[in-house]
Amino acid sequence: MSREELIEQAAQSIVEANKDLAVEIANKAIAEGIDPVDMINNGYSEGMARCGDRFDRGEMFLPELIVASDAMVAAISVLEEAMPAENRAEKLGTVVLGTIEGDVHDIGKGIVATMLRVYGFEVHDLGRDVPISSFVAKAKEVNADIVGSSALMTTTQVGQKALEEALKNACLRDKVKTMVGGAVVTQRWADKIGSDLYAENASEAVIKLKELFS
Amino acid sequence: MLKKYLTRMGDGERVEMTADEIRRDFELGTNDAADRGKIAPLTQDDLDRLLEIFTNPNKVVSVEPGNEVPLTHDIGTLRLMGDQGNSGVGIPLSRVQGIQVHERAFACDTMELGHIDYSFKPVKPVIAMEQQELENALLSTIVPLFYGAMPNLGLYYSPDGPFGNPSDLLPMGKIQEAREAQEGAVEHATRDMIYIAEKLAAVGADGINFDTTGAAGDTDMKATLHAVEYLKANTNLAVEVGMAGEFVLGMHGGLEYDGVRIAGLYPHQQVKLVEKAGADIFGPVVNTNTSKSMAWNLARAVTFIKACTEVANIPIHVNMGMGVGGSPVFETPPVDSVTRASKAMVEIAKVDGL
Amino acid sequence: MPIAHGMAAGMGGIRTAGDLVARMQMTRKMRIREAKAYVAEKLKVSPTDLSNEHVMREVREELDIGIITSVPGCAKGIEAKARIAELLGIEIASVKRLKNKVNF
Repeated sequence: MSREELIEQAAQSIVEANKDLAVEIANKAIAEGIDPVDMINNGYSEGMARCGDRFDRGEMFLPELIVASDAMVAAISVLEEAMPAENRAEKLGTVVLGTIEGDVHDIGKGIVATMLRVYGFEVHDLGRDVPISSFVAKAKEVNADIVGSSALMTTTQVGQKALEEALKNACLRDKVKTMVGGAVVTQRWADKIGSDLYAENASEAVIKLKELFS
Repeated sequence: MLKKYLTRMGDGERVEMTADEIRRDFELGTNDAADRGKIAPLTQDDLDRLLEIFTNPNKVVSVEPGNEVPLTHDIGTLRLMGDQGNSGVGIPLSRVQGIQVHERAFACDTMELGHIDYSFKPVKPVIAMEQQELENALLSTIVPLFYGAMPNLGLYYSPDGPFGNPSDLLPMGKIQEAREAQEGAVEHATRDMIYIAEKLAAVGADGINFDTTGAAGDTDMKATLHAVEYLKANTNLAVEVGMAGEFVLGMHGGLEYDGVRIAGLYPHQQVKLVEKAGADIFGPVVNTNTSKSMAWNLARAVTFIKACTEVANIPIHVNMGMGVGGSPVFETPPVDSVTRASKAMVEIAKVDGL
Repeated sequence: MPIAHGMAAGMGGIRTAGDLVARMQMTRKMRIREAKAYVAEKLKVSPTDLSNEHVMREVREELDIGIITSVPGCAKGIEAKARIAELLGIEIASVKRLKNKVNF
């Protein structure tokens, strides 16, 4: 089987959320001597990108996305075994995520967490109704690269500004990038409070964070 | 130098664009909707009409006399009495006074009574109070009165409800458990919504408004459709179903109504299930993207809604609140953009109400 | 914001015939043209007049179905709705309930 065919099959196995097939193709690629990094970047990651796009369009659903990401993780771990240790993919970054205290809306934030995990970020999802102090404590504990907060309501949006201040007071602001999202949050708000990054949805969060860490 | 027109971004920021730039964004917006919804883009005539609306030099625009449509309201009287969370202005009024103000000072076509939490579940233990308030309002007002609330299935998951939270279960790979939790929530929510609506019907409510249906995904919509079906068969309530987003989020992914998978449906498909359940009015939603211009957003929203009104057999009252229907995501939405969105929805998308 | 929408595209509630057209949408699932035509016929006015304050003020006063300003003696609340139910040939639940209670 040619490289191109294997790459396409790898992508397709993720789109179909077929873990067994994804692993089988990874093993075939190793047997054929195809570069595992090539398989990950151009095959499995491309499949996940297609999943993200389909999810954005309402053509793929959250449980399927979870199964697809599971298939991708399984295939990558097979390929990593065949890679020299120094070439193994390292995590892209450590992310602490949560919905601001007083806000119980966490469906969108949960999707962001899932997508970021899929793309190789280590994600610590603090859930919803999270006190500012918990964001700060977790960021310290896991040596976070990114602190992301979500707010659906204008009443809790102000918590994102308080988080910026709290990170400064804890002398962490220079060590982490901050990311904000949620229904009422805009780029203008991010700029106003000094947040590093705003994402309209989960796919955009992944794209922007990948750019930041590439 | 090319003439520039004042318009807005999706977050409400004022920008200037040339007619060509506006038209280019119309085309990108309508094509995005057409591509996602697999529906027809706006016609050249529609785009020309939209350009006229955008380049009108007046701050406020309106429909032509004779083209007016009735307005139904969500959030009840909370916009007067509520706090910032409801975009409320914090005036200490009773809810009956709030309804009277809407009828006699704001000249609203219909009005709505709603609980402070605006979700169905918390209404159940205080239903007698809601009945009493509605009775008082019905005696002293003339316009049709809905009772409005959100299905909000999130309240049936931990820590607020008896079922495991899919947002916790799914990331752990517990897909079956997450689905079972959601199916349990559908059953409970349906029962609660029917119980509440029947009590309100008993004291003479004109209608019930299921607002932001689908906010917790396909489970929300399934529960709502089952409740609607029961209420239309067993009460004389008029039923309005308003949505939460342009497509139904697949939190479960496998739920069906009348043999149709609910997740992923766009407005022109949603309305068919809403009709099948027996609802009288449908309120589709198209979300605003804050990074895009109002030209992009409104052309896109009108495309989705036009496709919906074309196939509908019931009145379509498009949602036009903050951040939907081409209106900016801004708590005090600029009047120029709000009125342009109104006119476009009525005269191009041909909605039956707002 | 609802006021801006109301000014741009709304019918005008009980200043005009917005409540009546809305009732036909709610009770008979009528699309806008059909609802306006139905109400116009019942009121013996043109569909365009349904949102014309100058016409509708008089019509509402004559039919005693409630007007927006507070005029002593004019029908208010459920009294106006009782006439609206009869005029439009529809059932209004609160009116029906009152009638049942007082044995009409």
